Amino acid sequence: MSAPMVETINLKKYFKTGSGMLHAVEDVNLKIEKGKTLGVVGESGCGKSTLGRTILRLQPATDGQVLYEGEDVLKYKKKDMKKLHLNMQMVFQDPFSSLDPRMSIHNLIAEPIEVCDIFKTKKEINEHVVRIMEMCGLPANLANLYPHELDGGFRQRVGLARAMAVSPKFIVCDEPVSALDVSIQAQILNLLMDLQDERQLSYMFITHDLCVVKHISNEIMVMYMGQTVEYAKTAELFAHPLHPYTQALLEAVPTPDLSRRNRERNTLKGEVSNPINPAPGCRFKPRCRFADKECDGECPLKEVSPGHLVACCKCG
Amino acid sequence: MEESKVSLLEIDALTVEYRTDDAIVHAVNDLDLRLDKGETRGLVGETGAGKTTLALSVLRLLPERVGHIAGGSIRYEGRELLQMPEAEMLALRGKRISMIFQDPMTSLNPTHTVGDQILEVLNLHFPEMTKQQKEAKVDEMMTLVGIPPSRKTDFPHQFSGGMKQRIVIAMALVAEPELLLADEPTTALDVTIQAQILELIRNLKNQFHTAVLLITHDLGVVAEFCDTVSVVYAGRVVEYGTVEAVFEKKNNHPYTAGLFGCIPDLKDDQPRLHPIAGRMSDPRVVHEGCCFCDRCDHAMERCKTVAPAMHVHKGHGIACHLFENREDF
Amino acid sequence: MFKRKKKSLSEYSMGELVMFRFRKNKLAMFGVFLLAAVFLAVLLAPVLSSYDNVVQMHVKDRFTSPNGSYIFGTDEFGRDLFARVLYGGRISLLASFAIIGIALVMGALIGGAAGYFGGRVDSVLMRVVDMLMAVPSTLLAMAIITALGNGVWKLVVALAVSQIARFSRIVRSAVLTLRNVEFIEAAQCYGCSSLRIIVKHILPNGIGPIIVSATLNLGQTILSISSMGYLGLGVASPTPEWGTIISENKANIQAYPYLGLIPGICIALTVMAVNFIGDGLRDAFDPRTKN
Repeated sequence: MSAPMVETINLKKYFKTGSGMLHAVEDVNLKIEKGKTLGVVGESGCGKSTLGRTILRLQPATDGQVLYEGEDVLKYKKKDMKKLHLNMQMVFQDPFSSLDPRMSIHNLIAEPIEVCDIFKTKKEINEHVVRIMEMCGLPANLANLYPHELDGGFRQRVGLARAMAVSPKFIVCDEPVSALDVSIQAQILNLLMDLQDERQLSYMFITHDLCVVKHISNEIMVMYMGQTVEYAKTAELFAHPLHPYTQALLEAVPTPDLSRRNRERNTLKGEVSNPINPAPGCRFKPRCRFADKECDGECPLKEVSPGHLVACCKCG
Repeated sequence: MEESKVSLLEIDALTVEYRTDDAIVHAVNDLDLRLDKGETRGLVGETGAGKTTLALSVLRLLPERVGHIAGGSIRYEGRELLQMPEAEMLALRGKRISMIFQDPMTSLNPTHTVGDQILEVLNLHFPEMTKQQKEAKVDEMMTLVGIPPSRKTDFPHQFSGGMKQRIVIAMALVAEPELLLADEPTTALDVTIQAQILELIRNLKNQFHTAVLLITHDLGVVAEFCDTVSVVYAGRVVEYGTVEAVFEKKNNHPYTAGLFGCIPDLKDDQPRLHPIAGRMSDPRVVHEGCCFCDRCDHAMERCKTVAPAMHVHKGHGIACHLFENREDF
Repeated sequence: MFKRKKKSLSEYSMGELVMFRFRKNKLAMFGVFLLAAVFLAVLLAPVLSSYDNVVQMHVKDRFTSPNGSYIFGTDEFGRDLFARVLYGGRISLLASFAIIGIALVMGALIGGAAGYFGGRVDSVLMRVVDMLMAVPSTLLAMAIITALGNGVWKLVVALAVSQIARFSRIVRSAVLTLRNVEFIEAAQCYGCSSLRIIVKHILPNGIGPIIVSATLNLGQTILSISSMGYLGLGVASPTPEWGTIISENKANIQAYPYLGLIPGICIALTVMAVNFIGDGLRDAFDPRTKN
């Protein structure tokens, strides 16, 4: 089998803070095949956004490898970085702050093309912008407007168009629909999936919304305090969630479904703390109802069934 | 039926406008809502549907000079709030009716300890209580919301988002109000924390017999938490009823049905979502017919000119021409 | 919304759009016109009057009110105020614009680098700025000019240096608020260089407060040039300069108000024009302003 589109090997990202090392991303191994989507789920502060930014080298990694088609992008010198920019892009969460308010929609989408030198003449750039806008469902008459004149849905399309402008093969989507209303959210999700089908894009889809991630992902990675706690095919994960944290997440998510209305609720106690100088052992232990002495030891990811990995010494 | 008794909160034909230099924004249009003692009603709608405006109108806290109540009435236990003198309104706010806002980060004053902020509510509304009684009440309240009273000398920044929302809830409920307006109380929180907070509100509400108007954009939260629901679109209630009737998903207003179609299901696989076409209607435009007709798959000629009446069957109301003369929903 | 003929708007660069919006601002255009008029008059000084009139004393015509032969009247030595104001304006305008310009550029570089790169660069630069700020700016300017020696250009350097700290602070805080906004990250994502990010994204967004403080400081600067002159530093009598003209006539202003009014109005008009232009620029950089 050929190398996957994107792969990370023992990727680490630590931040120095006043009270010690914050282990934001700890030994993350993931693989995303061409045309597939990996959903990364977790609560705020679990390191999922940092992971995405580290893969794109928006933040320097502490250790580990990020392979794009087998090549380690973390070893890229300055002159190689263009390759990374052309292949790997990002769509941001907030459609308000991710667009420069002083630039027109046209200029916003044209800038990456100019910076990456894809086309030489102004005419070619303009034609390309028109194509991209159409592809992302943006009416041509919006080109002259500014971000503040658009609503959230169109702004997020502009954000997507800007990422698509350099025709990347891999896109990190950092909560791209969290700030949108449900009806708009569905439009953007459909657009993302259509683009994926057309162009064989690979996505890393970062979100806290389990319904959304189930809909769009082929595989799902659940993160907790910087670590992968469970990694499986989407159907498998939802059918057999093994890690207590995954189970708690699935239980907590409210759905517009009467059958779940009167279920017995095992609400997860406590809150996430910061992974600053974490002790070895399971980081979920303080909130876990199954935890005991055994959990103080190492709990590496184990493959419990083909393709289904769990980091819990009580499972498998 | 409902007419026979006086509800806790009755809103009739409420119309609220924001008047700016350029335009009049019609935030709430002819909106009716009832809330009984102890009831939990979900008010669902998307951004710009007028949900928050409605809550602010009840408390008469609309932004001065810009926000105007152009018509209708809001009655609390049968008394008209819109005509009430400000002094009486002050006594009502925080004591009989409280509100929780979306953002727990900004609804606490960063320069006072959390204990003092809860105490402040008691100082305002219960001057007859002794200092010891008040302190005891603060401790009791903090215990109830799951924060050790020993932390009452801490400042808001020493708490996490979920903890802050717990303190906000303690402030809102310390006077044991009859009505709690909760404006997106869990939107800024993570799912597991959201579940904790909703469970907390549910327990306290049962303990104090408080009626809750839960404003949210999340149909899932309504399904799990509320007794009844009102769906608002463009400042109007387009559908109301018990959660069972509405979430049965058999007979719904096209907008409600559209919302259901937008949410990916946790149980079943669907290859594609079915978004509602178009976008939110411009609140500066006054609709002659149905406010949803531009985006509706079932729109008829009549929808463009005639505003649909609320068709009610067994307490389930749908404002849509499709449900005229139907007795089966 | 925008309506344009011929060229579609998207074919304009950001700079062209800024100019386009600026030109639509009536008050700003009035400011440009006013400033142009002042500059033109000052530039044409040799045509309008000869330099000899600046220093020549007509003892008989002391304190002549403005009339046909002396348009602005004369001062206590019988010198022609019109000539003095015209030639004085050359120094005032040139020096004050140069001072603000130098301070702004230096401040933008220091503050921009400190804010954008952060960390150690920020700490070092800001400690230097703190040291500059610890000394009162007049005192600092005096010290520099004493070290460099007297002269108009040395005065410019001295006053510019004394203002760098203030501009660095303003630019740094403008950059800091923008540093972590997602659109900057987005720009890094498609490979924008740091320079391009600062020039194309951070400056246009942070320019409002910078322009406002620059224009507000201009009037102040004209006056500080004269207070330096009063202390015998930089521009000294009999060389005219607007501020100096006012201060040398201080004793007689009550009896002959035109002596203070005329140069005063010149300063006020210039400052006003610059303020209008500044406000216009600030709004022109922001597409959100209604137009």
